Amino acid sequence: MEKKDDNYYIEKVINGQTNYFSYIVEKYQDIVFSIALKVLRNREDAEEMAQESFIKAYKSLHTFKGNAKFSTWIYRITYNTCISEVRKKKIHFTSADDVQIKDETEEMNLDGIPAENREKIIKAALDKLPEDEYTLVLLYYFEEQSIVEICKVTGLTESNAKVKLHRARKKLHTLLNEMMKDDLYTIL
Amino acid sequence: MKTFEEDKELKQLLKSIKLEKPAPDFTKVVMNRVFQERAVVEQVRAEPVLGKGFWIILALFVLLMAVMVLMSGSNIAPESTVVLPEINTEKYMSGYRSFFENFGNLPVSIAGITLAFSMLIFLERFLSSRRPELT
Repeated sequence: MEKKDDNYYIEKVINGQTNYFSYIVEKYQDIVFSIALKVLRNREDAEEMAQESFIKAYKSLHTFKGNAKFSTWIYRITYNTCISEVRKKKIHFTSADDVQIKDETEEMNLDGIPAENREKIIKAALDKLPEDEYTLVLLYYFEEQSIVEICKVTGLTESNAKVKLHRARKKLHTLLNEMMKDDLYTIL
Repeated sequence: MKTFEEDKELKQLLKSIKLEKPAPDFTKVVMNRVFQERAVVEQVRAEPVLGKGFWIILALFVLLMAVMVLMSGSNIAPESTVVLPEINTEKYMSGYRSFFENFGNLPVSIAGITLAFSMLIFLERFLSSRRPELT
């Protein structure tokens, strides 16, 4: 079947064909859930907030003008919904801000690590990032969103987003290198 | 030193992982809630803007007005006295008349403000009931 773009489904939903909204849910559920899970750190809450984000998006779909990408719009709804929930519940998480960023950790060589462990290592490293840095990394590298789009999602200024992304990348390199060393020792 | 924009390896690495997935029935759950929302919106849309109560009160008011007009045309005060001889209806009718006389003496601006206010409430209710979202 020919893959249609988001605007096609959005128009269908706005015109009353509500079942087309399931395409949007299917397409974005993993990343919406990942953002929610990172912010809320609990699968149950994350699932609830991910659902809430889609419902909010459905309710205000008619306000989506199409000037920005739909993905940017839905991620912003998700991010704001989750941050509001954290503030409402007054949840305080301790983040991995204590990671010592090393300047020399530029190159990574994951060749010696088995594929199944590789994914585990990357996920574990991502897990150690604070939620704002995780969201930046996810949107920039995984979703290939631009800095401008990321700023719309997170509400950061361009310069702030760049600084945070730079820090997050360095932190991720440090974490990955440390984890790879540990993993190699275990293998050997 | 590479900038974050140049880090193609990291992009490749991150793209190779599978993201956390919600429960398998996630789409179904969301769609059920979406259909519920839609049903509520449709129900609100189907409901008349002005409820049954409004029409009953309006009918009673119109009826009262009609009675008043008919009564003012003919001098019914003596008849009333005949129907209810033991009650001094004239006393009540004069109080009633003085109320409406005072009401009629109200400045036009107050009447205008009241009317405009009522219209705005009516308009707000009408527009919000036609809005697809429910807030």
